[in-house]
Amino acid sequence: MSTQLPANLSEGTVREISEQRDEPEWLLEARLDALDALSDLDLPDVIQTPGRRWTDLDQLDFESLVDPLNQSDDTERVTAEGVEVLPFTDAVEEHPKLVEAEFGSVVDPQDNYLTALSAALFTTGTFIYVPEGVDAEDVKIRARMNSRSLFSHTLVVTEDSSSVTILEGVETDAAVEDARYFSNLVEIATGENSYVQYGALQNLDEDTYHYTLKRADVGTYATVNWIEGNIGSRLTRSDVESELNGDAAESKIVGAFFGHNDQHFDVNARVWHNAEHTTADLVTRGVLDDRARSVYEGVQDVGRDAWDTNSYQRENTLMLSDESEADASPKLIINNHDTEASHSATVGQVDREDLFYMTSRALPERIARNMLVEGFFVPVLEEIAVDELREDVETLVAERLRQ
Amino acid sequence: MSSDQDHLKETDTEARFEFKKEQKSSFQADKGLTEETIRVISEDKDEPEWMLQRRLRALKQFQEMPMPTDWPGQPDLSEVDVDEIVPYIRPDVETRGSVDDWTDLPDEIKDTFDKLGIPEAEKNALSGVGAQYESEVVYQNMQERWEEKGVVFMNMDQAVQEHEDLVREHFMTKCVPPSDNKFAALHGAIWSGGSFVYVPEDTTVDMPVQAYFRMNSEGMGQFEHTLIIAEEGSEVHYIEGCSAPKYSAFNLHSGGVEVFVGEDAHVQYSTVQNWSKNTYNLNTKRALVEQGGRMEWISGSMGSKATMLYPSTILKGRGASDNHITIAFAGEGQNIDTGAKVYHNAPETKSTIESKSISKDGGRTNYRGLVHIADGAENSSTSVECDALMFDNESTSDTMPYMEINESKVDVAHEATVGKIGDEDVFYLQSRGLDDDDAKQMIVSGFIEPITEELPIEYAVELNRLVELEMEGSLG
Repeated sequence: MSTQLPANLSEGTVREISEQRDEPEWLLEARLDALDALSDLDLPDVIQTPGRRWTDLDQLDFESLVDPLNQSDDTERVTAEGVEVLPFTDAVEEHPKLVEAEFGSVVDPQDNYLTALSAALFTTGTFIYVPEGVDAEDVKIRARMNSRSLFSHTLVVTEDSSSVTILEGVETDAAVEDARYFSNLVEIATGENSYVQYGALQNLDEDTYHYTLKRADVGTYATVNWIEGNIGSRLTRSDVESELNGDAAESKIVGAFFGHNDQHFDVNARVWHNAEHTTADLVTRGVLDDRARSVYEGVQDVGRDAWDTNSYQRENTLMLSDESEADASPKLIINNHDTEASHSATVGQVDREDLFYMTSRALPERIARNMLVEGFFVPVLEEIAVDELREDVETLVAERLRQ
Repeated sequence: MSSDQDHLKETDTEARFEFKKEQKSSFQADKGLTEETIRVISEDKDEPEWMLQRRLRALKQFQEMPMPTDWPGQPDLSEVDVDEIVPYIRPDVETRGSVDDWTDLPDEIKDTFDKLGIPEAEKNALSGVGAQYESEVVYQNMQERWEEKGVVFMNMDQAVQEHEDLVREHFMTKCVPPSDNKFAALHGAIWSGGSFVYVPEDTTVDMPVQAYFRMNSEGMGQFEHTLIIAEEGSEVHYIEGCSAPKYSAFNLHSGGVEVFVGEDAHVQYSTVQNWSKNTYNLNTKRALVEQGGRMEWISGSMGSKATMLYPSTILKGRGASDNHITIAFAGEGQNIDTGAKVYHNAPETKSTIESKSISKDGGRTNYRGLVHIADGAENSSTSVECDALMFDNESTSDTMPYMEINESKVDVAHEATVGKIGDEDVFYLQSRGLDDDDAKQMIVSGFIEPITEELPIEYAVELNRLVELEMEGSLG
């Protein structure tokens, strides 16, 4: 099954976007190739069991959601010493060779229908370059979406023995009514022995459909740690993935989400162990209130040559409301026996004994429950190295609990 | 009866399963599957018109459904060409239907089951035994004391004639309709043989009943149907065993099992599957459990080239419960794709799934399971545990659980681990004087013990022997 091309999309549209940015020929070609491929590509895979489709992406009406020529955003970028943090367009001019070499090297624009749409139409995004030996903290990207639709492409390149901590926040302004679409692709290419922590916090308004694919190519001795926080949006499809391609590569994927009203979160964490002595740890915690629904797929794929692998996965969902629904599928794909792998998943409600204990200490039930929910997120919050991101998540969780 | 004793001393388990008998049959359907074949089979069985109609409807559904090909990591079914299968072979027995004395059977059939140890087990440990050879049940017997209490244990074809109303109501209607999947539809069209078990209210059948299924001919398909109805407050343990000699052409086994567990009833269904390694084993097994009832599935999948089997339980009534215990062992060239499905459709329902798998010499085991908790199934709980042991780097072990939770007042837990045999464990045992092979064998026996301890001793011994056989010569 492939999805039809929206009528308002044509080669002309793509050329116009590229010309406005004065882009080099190779980028225009990449955009046009992605546009061409659209008719042959499928939407990202969604889990389907007898009688139940976990997320319905077919309901996305690109005809009305996508307005390619009127994209607009305000993005604030904070750099750190020794690191280049540039709007994508500027990077194409300033680092033409590097951008050309790395663009699409981790996330193939023709991976699926949504990545191709994003590659053909993106107008914003950030390029982050960390030269050899540089240690940088607190690189920040704060993006605000002002239009009906927005497509963003972020590329992070680290040289050998460098380290960087990146914080990304995405929001919407209030200027657009009804449904909107935000597409956010992030690719990280790592040098040997480099370290990246990429923390993302999504707090879009609840009319926005959100697709994000974040993928890292983790090289020898390199570490990429992802933090993926999802609070806003009407529907989110989030794929956070690490390919451990170098020996002794490591990755941690930490996820947190809090759904209420009729929000739908389809969050996925996947890791491929393709080399020796690699380690991965996947930790996701989510809370669901009202009629919110979550879908989680975690994949630990250990390749035939991935000797001495350690791979762990935990997923916990807390349900605050009887109308909420949670689907989960943690998967182990093991092709090398020299592996220590485990996964666990739980779904439950606030522990009644804990609640009883706290109310017996004179706390009103509502406050006791809120404290327990905040406590539920602690194991995830502890993984966040950036104070600001951790505080933002805490604040948003607290706000939602007190609504 | 001394010959019965002799075979039990036989230590070469492989020889006990791998022997072949000359193919002798009184009626054999042509290869392939057409409406004509179905009519011939149905007529040969002298079935009522409604059964013929159900078969024909299932055939139509089979032809319309696509082959499952897009499940991640599933066994390759491209070799399974139903038109190459001989769907129906009636063995050469004197009487129509089954006999109730082994000595009434033709020598070569009796000899087959002697070698498999069935008559001996019947004397010692079972309430009743059925034995199917090719497409028909050739032997069926139950101790008189159960007959007096109204327990029915007979071959399925006979039940269509003698318990027509019960069968008509329960046969592939509300439990496993042919539309469930392509092989359930195939089964619905050409089923033959199998067991019908009926346990009246408040009756406890305290020794297991057993059915043994044997395919002897090359290129045949076996499609037995098992229907168990356990009325309110009753209890029964049903065991099935299966084997076939190995041929170069593929064999197909596509059984159907339907279990109705009444209020507060308890049914245990145990399987030790040891089909030859050219057999495709594609079964549909399902239980419907009423209020307070309990269903237990215990499956050991050792044989077959490819198995796709996910025994399912639908917990319909308040307080119903389910236990799944499965063990899969995949050696060279085997793909054992198995798991469990549980639907919690009522409050206070409980399920536990315990899965152990072992893969070696390039074998592949997949755990594929689904737990669904419906909205309103308050205070339900489920716990899933999957452990996999891998022997070498040519083997594969996948774990693919799916959980769908539509109710908040629940307790859901899933855990899985994958690893190799611990070097430290082996070292410890060696330091106690065991050699490498024995140490590993002991570790594997310990790994599967939670399963074997649920089986009657004869079967636990059998399962252990099969595991030993699988491991022989492969270690070192």
